[in-house]
Formats: sequence, structure tokens, C-alpha cells
Amino acid sequence: MGLDFTVVVRNLDYLLWGRLAEGELGGLLLTVIMAVSAGALSLLLGITLAVIAWRYAAIPRKLLFLWAELIRGVPLIFVIFWLYFLVPALFGGGIPNALSVILALAWFSSAAIMHSVLAGLQALPCSQYEAGIASGFTEFQVLRWILLPQALKNLIPSFVGLFASLIKDTSLAFIVNVPELTMVASQVNSRTQLFPTEIFLSIAALYFILCSVLSLIARSISNR
Amino acid sequence: MIEFRDVHKFYDKLHVIRGIDLSITKGEVVVICGPSGSGKSTLIRLVNQLEILSRGDILVDGQSVASLRSRSLRQLRTQIGFVFQQFNLYPHLTAEQNITLALRKVLSITPKDATLRAVELLERVGLADKRQAYPAQLSGGQQQRVAIARTLAMRPKILLFDEPTSALDPEMIGEVLTVMRDLATSGITMLVVTHEMGFARELADLVVFIDQGVILENAKPSDFFLSPQHPRTRQFLRQLLSPLHTAND
Amino acid sequence: MGGLTFDWIGVLGGAPLEWLELGVLTTLYVTFAGFLVATLIAIVLLGLRISEKQIIQWPAITVVAVFRNTPLLVQILFWYFAGFGLLPADWRAWINDDHSWAMLPGGVGLLTPEFLAATWGLGVFSGVFIAEEIRAGLMAVAPGQREAALAQGFGHWRCLGYILLPQALANAWQPVVGQYLNLMKLSSLAAAIGLAEITYQVRQIESYNSHALEAFAVGTLLYLAIGMVMGQILLRCGPRSGTMIRGGIRRGP
Repeated sequence: MGLDFTVVVRNLDYLLWGRLAEGELGGLLLTVIMAVSAGALSLLLGITLAVIAWRYAAIPRKLLFLWAELIRGVPLIFVIFWLYFLVPALFGGGIPNALSVILALAWFSSAAIMHSVLAGLQALPCSQYEAGIASGFTEFQVLRWILLPQALKNLIPSFVGLFASLIKDTSLAFIVNVPELTMVASQVNSRTQLFPTEIFLSIAALYFILCSVLSLIARSISNR
Repeated sequence: MIEFRDVHKFYDKLHVIRGIDLSITKGEVVVICGPSGSGKSTLIRLVNQLEILSRGDILVDGQSVASLRSRSLRQLRTQIGFVFQQFNLYPHLTAEQNITLALRKVLSITPKDATLRAVELLERVGLADKRQAYPAQLSGGQQQRVAIARTLAMRPKILLFDEPTSALDPEMIGEVLTVMRDLATSGITMLVVTHEMGFARELADLVVFIDQGVILENAKPSDFFLSPQHPRTRQFLRQLLSPLHTAND
Repeated sequence: MGGLTFDWIGVLGGAPLEWLELGVLTTLYVTFAGFLVATLIAIVLLGLRISEKQIIQWPAITVVAVFRNTPLLVQILFWYFAGFGLLPADWRAWINDDHSWAMLPGGVGLLTPEFLAATWGLGVFSGVFIAEEIRAGLMAVAPGQREAALAQGFGHWRCLGYILLPQALANAWQPVVGQYLNLMKLSSLAAAIGLAEITYQVRQIESYNSHALEAFAVGTLLYLAIGMVMGQILLRCGPRSGTMIRGGIRRGP
């Protein structure tokens, strides 16, 4: 069977950055921007929650675990649905779809980040904490300057892995019509009808390159 | 029975066994000792090819070990029992199943006969009441005795022991040595890597001292302990027998 | 929508209720079919991956890398739009025919392009992950176990079958169950190719009578409930690891 990739070449700019010239961001560029923003947000949120769960081991930790368990039990699509409908309902509408997907992805991954940061903190020998307290730091200072830096350094590879998952998960934005890579590719596919193999192979290759580079980076960091 | 002919072993560039020649006749009990890292464990692991020979050959019953592959190698291994330092019992199986598994799957013995053999051997090592126990429920000494029973069940012609008491708490060493003493007097060929000099003095026909991959001393126990020839042997014995010497390695 | 008011009758009655019932059935069917495919694929991949020969390992390594590093949605779209088109024409015609025998109870068609592409896509994707989980469990088995088996005269495959895999499965069972649960949740992506499972029906209700929040709430609860039941069943059926506490090894002084 002969493959004809001219359809991909002709639509390459659309696949890579959407209608950027008309001021409408899309394609691979939007995918990356969404993944990066969701990644940054989820790091912030996840670490904060981990600190809360670490410091308040009783009820707050249990509640956070329950919350994470609920998030994990529901398909990501539904988390996206919820934010897509709830955020405008609560704050009076008017946020772009892409933003609600970013919030949903961040919300979803922060549960995983919370768990791994907490595990990282708990894996440190408690002598580290005692040494910090003994030299006169406050509890928060010990956390900020002694424990978190060590725990986070060990977790860098898993964060990189998580970022790769985010890149793949942005494809779910199709459900609320955000023109990221998968969405624009299926638009091109339904417009042309004739070249599904070429189109989907090409965008799969794009995702593959991005994600395997990331996992190579993660591996080389953790081997160091 | 076992003949080492100019045996060499390299790990990449590291030369751990450097030309060993040694002959062991049927029914002999040979103790191999030496400082840690001397290559003594590697030497017995070469006999059943858990490590692959780099040069030279080992003859077991006149059969060259180096040339054996797949099926014939597996057959040889069923005739050579190996007891590990860390016991290596199968944690997902009971004591009895640990013994019967290879009987049934490798030697194709019927489940009934395999069980009979297991019961008999567990009794012999003093663990008749532990048939249904899982390894995690047994003490170190008990685990090692099950491991010995598992090895004996295959009715091997040769028994190899790789520091069988080194992973045990001191109070459990005795029970394992009792079983080994029983075996040593039964006439089976045994090759034992150990630091238990009492066992060597009492039961060995031959004591071999290895350092840095070479045999430095090869003598009857009486000669070995009373008049060692090599200065390094004397030093080793002094350290091992001195009251300040700390357990194993 | 106008603020947060709820009207459950618009979701749990009339046509929407029927749609939801059909959606639950479809989700269950596609999950079960995907479960079978995933298990099969995992076994094959694992077999290749742990073979002694490098040449056999390579295809498995490639497959694992490709399917792990691309989004499942793209894979499902590929199977549906491209993969199905690559089948021989008479196969496609046969699949598109009416098959009364391939109608599952509740009126869900087994032999439809949507059901087949979703099952296959979910199965391959999850199979890859399951194979890797079990391989990780295999790596966690102490090296002495293999040596003990070899010393007893076990060959490569028997050593795997009797000694290593039972321990690997017990080690890996929890993450493997997690992957099967993931398969169930990810079946929601099949809505993208028009498989009428829960997510698809929820969106249909939303566009039918705008009861979005109610429909999402019901959908969310349905997934949670299915996941809970499925997780319990799988954990019960799994290999018992209660008796094999880590390491049968006690260290000396």
C-alpha cells in the first residue's frame, strides 16, 4: 500500500500551530503550551497539598487521600467536563475552553504529585528533620530549606514522566472542542477523508518524539 | 569424581580464578576456605555452571562441564545439589512444595512419591512438623535445613555448599552443622565453602585454601591446621581462630 | 443553565434513562472485551520480552515504546479511521453486515467498527502497560530464586512458569489491577469514535435537554461504582501474597 504524505505536508502549518496568523493558537504549539501550564500549576498545587498532608497527618491528610482517590476513580474526561461546566457556572462564565482544560489537567495530576511528594518527604531519614529543628529552624523553615529540596531533587525524573503524560492527556481536550494537535488532525482527516493512515501516523510520530525524548531525559537524570 | 583442569574465570577484565587444578575422588569431603573475595564461591558455582567457565575445564564423572548446553546441562545440574548462603527457598511455596516441585516437574516423579520423599527428608532434617509452613514463617536455620532437604530430594551424586551458615544467627549455626555432619559421614561427595573451621577439622578429608584465585594450600586437616605451609594461610588461620575475630567476614 | 439548580427526572427518566442503561451495558461489554484482548497481548509481549534471545526482544521493546509514548485517543482514532480501512474489503463488508448472532444482551452490537476499534485499541494499550508492570514484578524477584531453580535443573521456561512468574504476579498484582481499572475508565475515550458508552450517552443527554450537571454527576457515580466493584473482584481473584512476605531471607549478624 502506498502512503501519500502530501496531505500532511500541505496542512503542516495548521497541524503545528493552528491559525496562529488569525490570532487563534492551535495544533502542536497549543498542545505544548497546555501541557506546560498544566504541569506548572499541578506542581504548585501538588507540592502545597503534599506539605499540608505531611504537616497535618490526621484529618486533613485523610481528606486529601480521599479526594485523590475520587479523582483517580473517575475518567479524566469527566474531570474536564466538570471544570468546563462548573467554573463558568461558579464564576460567571467567560473563560476560554483551553483554560478550563488546563485547570482540569492540573487538578487531575496534582493528586499524583501530592502522593509522590509526600512519599518523597516520608522517605527522608527523620534525622534530617531533627537536625534542622536542633539548629533552631522553625518547622516551616526545615521543610522549605532542608526537606523539600532533597525530596524534590529525587522526584525530578518522575515529574518529567508526568509531564510526558500531560502531553498525551491534552488530546482529551477534543471533548470540549479545543483545537490542539489531535483535534486539528481529526479536522484535517474529516475534511480530506482519504488519508487517515498518513494523518494519524504523522501526529502519532509527533507525540512519540516529544514523549520519548522526555522519557530519555527522565532516565538519564535518574541514572545520574 | 570432580576434576578442575587449569580453571580460569574473568569478569570483564577482573581475573577472579587464576588457573586452578584440583582433583576430588568419590565420597570425599572437601572444605574450601579463604578470605572474602578470594574466589571460593565462584569456584563451586563453576561446577554446576551457575557461572560460565572462561578457560580450562571441569570434569564431573569424566564428563566435561564446559561443553554442556541446555538439556544435558540441566541433567547434570539435577545430579549436583547446591545449597546457597541465602537459602533461596521459593517464598510462594510451602516447605513441602519447595521439595516436591523439582521432583515432579524436572524428574517427572509422581506427586505421591514426591510427597513421600519430602516427608521422609523433612523428618531427616528434623522438620517433620513444618511441612505446610511457608519460608517466611521459618527461622533462618529452619529455612536452610529445608533447603538442604530440597537439595537431597533430587538424590544428587555431589553436594555443593556455598557458605551455608554465613547468613545465620550464631545460635542457629549448630542445627545446620548437625545436618551437614550427618551427610558428611554418609559417603556422599561434598564440596563445602565455609568459615566453620571446626567442621573442617572434624569432617574434611581435604582442606583447600584459596587466595586471589589461586590454591595456596591443599592438605589433610591435620596438616592444614598444625603445620600450614604458606605464610598467608598462617595469617588467615590466626585471624579466624583468634578470639577477637568478628563472626563472618 | 442559569445557576446551580438540579432536576434529576430529566436524567433518570424517559429516554435519557434508557440511554444511560445502554451506556452502562456498552461500557461493561467493551471493558470486558478489552480486558480479554489486553490479557492476551500482555502474555504475548511478556513472552517476547523475557525471551533469552535479543532478536525476539526487540520487536516487543519497540511495540511497548510506540504505544506508551502516544496518546490512547490518537491510537483509537488510528484504529477506527485507518486500521479498519486497512482490513481486506470483504472483511469490512462482512463486519458492516447485520449479525443478529453478534448482538449482545441489551442490544449492543459486537461486530461494529466502533466496538471492534475501541476493544482493540483499549486492549493493545492496556496490554502494553500490564506487560511492563509484570516485567517490573519479575525484576523485583530476588536473583537467587533463578539460580536456585537453575541449580535444580529447571530450564528457562519452566523456571519462569513455576518459580519466577508466580512471584512476579503476586508482586505486581496491585498495579496490574490498577491498569485494568484504567482500561475501564479509558473506555470513555471511545465516545470520540461514537461508541455509545456512558460518556457518549451523558453528552447526548446534555445536548438533548441541557441537563449537563445532572448527567455528569450520574456518569461520575456510575464510573466510580463500576470501578469499585471491578477492583474488589480483581483483588479477590488475584494471587494471594499474604503468605509470601518479602524476602524469605533473614540476614546474619
